Amino acid sequence: MSRSRGTSGSDALETLGRSSGPASLILSSLADGAKHGYALTKDIESFAGVRLAPGTLYEALSRLEAHGLIEALESQDRRRPYRLTAAGATALNSYLKAQRQVAEVGLSRLASTWAMT
Amino acid sequence: MTADAGVRASRLLLWYPPAWRARYGDEFAELLAAEFAERPSDRRRAVNVAFSGFRARLADVGLGAHPLDPTAAARARMATLACSGALFAMFGAAMWSQLATGLQWAATQDRGITQALDLMSVALLTFCVVAAVGLAGLIRAAIVSVARHRDAALRKPAALAAASAALLFFGGRHFANGWPGTGGHLLAAHGIVPAGVVAFCWSTTMWITSYWAHPAMLAAFPATQIAWMTLTPLAACGLMTGTAQLIRRLDRSPGALCFETWLGRAGGGGMLIFLCGVMRWLASAAAGQRAVFHVGSIDIVGLTVIVLGLAAGLQAMRRAELARR
Repeated sequence: MSRSRGTSGSDALETLGRSSGPASLILSSLADGAKHGYALTKDIESFAGVRLAPGTLYEALSRLEAHGLIEALESQDRRRPYRLTAAGATALNSYLKAQRQVAEVGLSRLASTWAMT
Repeated sequence: MTADAGVRASRLLLWYPPAWRARYGDEFAELLAAEFAERPSDRRRAVNVAFSGFRARLADVGLGAHPLDPTAAARARMATLACSGALFAMFGAAMWSQLATGLQWAATQDRGITQALDLMSVALLTFCVVAAVGLAGLIRAAIVSVARHRDAALRKPAALAAASAALLFFGGRHFANGWPGTGGHLLAAHGIVPAGVVAFCWSTTMWITSYWAHPAMLAAFPATQIAWMTLTPLAACGLMTGTAQLIRRLDRSPGALCFETWLGRAGGGGMLIFLCGVMRWLASAAAGQRAVFHVGSIDIVGLTVIVLGLAAGLQAMRRAELARR
């Protein structure tokens, strides 16, 4: 992954402002398939240990949809599922790789200076 | 979803603007119902929904980021600018006419008062010119909409705005005849301000008064005057609502919206000059004396409203700049 692609992916999420944190969690949750609001809440809680409040979740969903990173599917009863778009997958990929790079640098420095493994 | 959960969800949904509810309302209510079943009582959830709804409302009127419909938000920003200007015009005219009327009764040697009135007069004149240019643009856009038979959604707000404006104009003219400045010094100390304009501004803003806090004194007023003081704020609200809806519904090009933002900037400049005038008044020796130039609690309320209106207008212009980039 080149630096420029990593930057553009991070930018795509950072333009979401206060929703950029929840947005990365939502995109990660949708990476394995479409989900509706409550399923997203439960999935994110299970893999990240964070429970997104309803207002926060829908604020992030509406912003992700407006930026074309997710799309709404036909409604099943009143619950509407969302799925990742190709642009959303690219943005999430770039964002997570940039995060991994930061994590690897931090962990290696902790290991060398503080003997933490 | 149970009936109880439906009622609770509907209540929480009221925090959001109608456009947001139309798009996300059903699915959000389903999510809330599932949350209620899992955690029946959660105050943090209610606060979260309230704040999120408030941010959605700010975005809906063009004051927040990430609106649902960017085109509608661009028009909403102009409506917010117009409302902010209308608040300024009302409360500014009330302060200005108070000072100008004071000069009818007492020619003052205090330079602070005359300088304040100079600044406030220039500011209001600038603002009136800006408002007239903006209004001309709106009328032009309305004529184009009528010519293209796209005026169905404009009729009600146009009728509301026109009826409210007519009521304010003719009522204001009528009550201006009882102006307390009549028989005064005819602006001996300040000949640049036409007395008729002062009288009109005084009568249309008569309701902005601290007499509301003193019912016994208010009861001594003639019944027609009390009725007028009750009717004027309603007419002012009608004028603001009708105009704001017109601005939100009229089709305009991006260039026209850009020009309106520029007009908003010029109007904001006028408001800042006006605030300088108010500061000069506050700093004058006469402001603290119990006489016609005294700064009362109603003037502090008016100043607060003007500052809040200016802040909303500046935020709308800031959002317009960000949206253009």
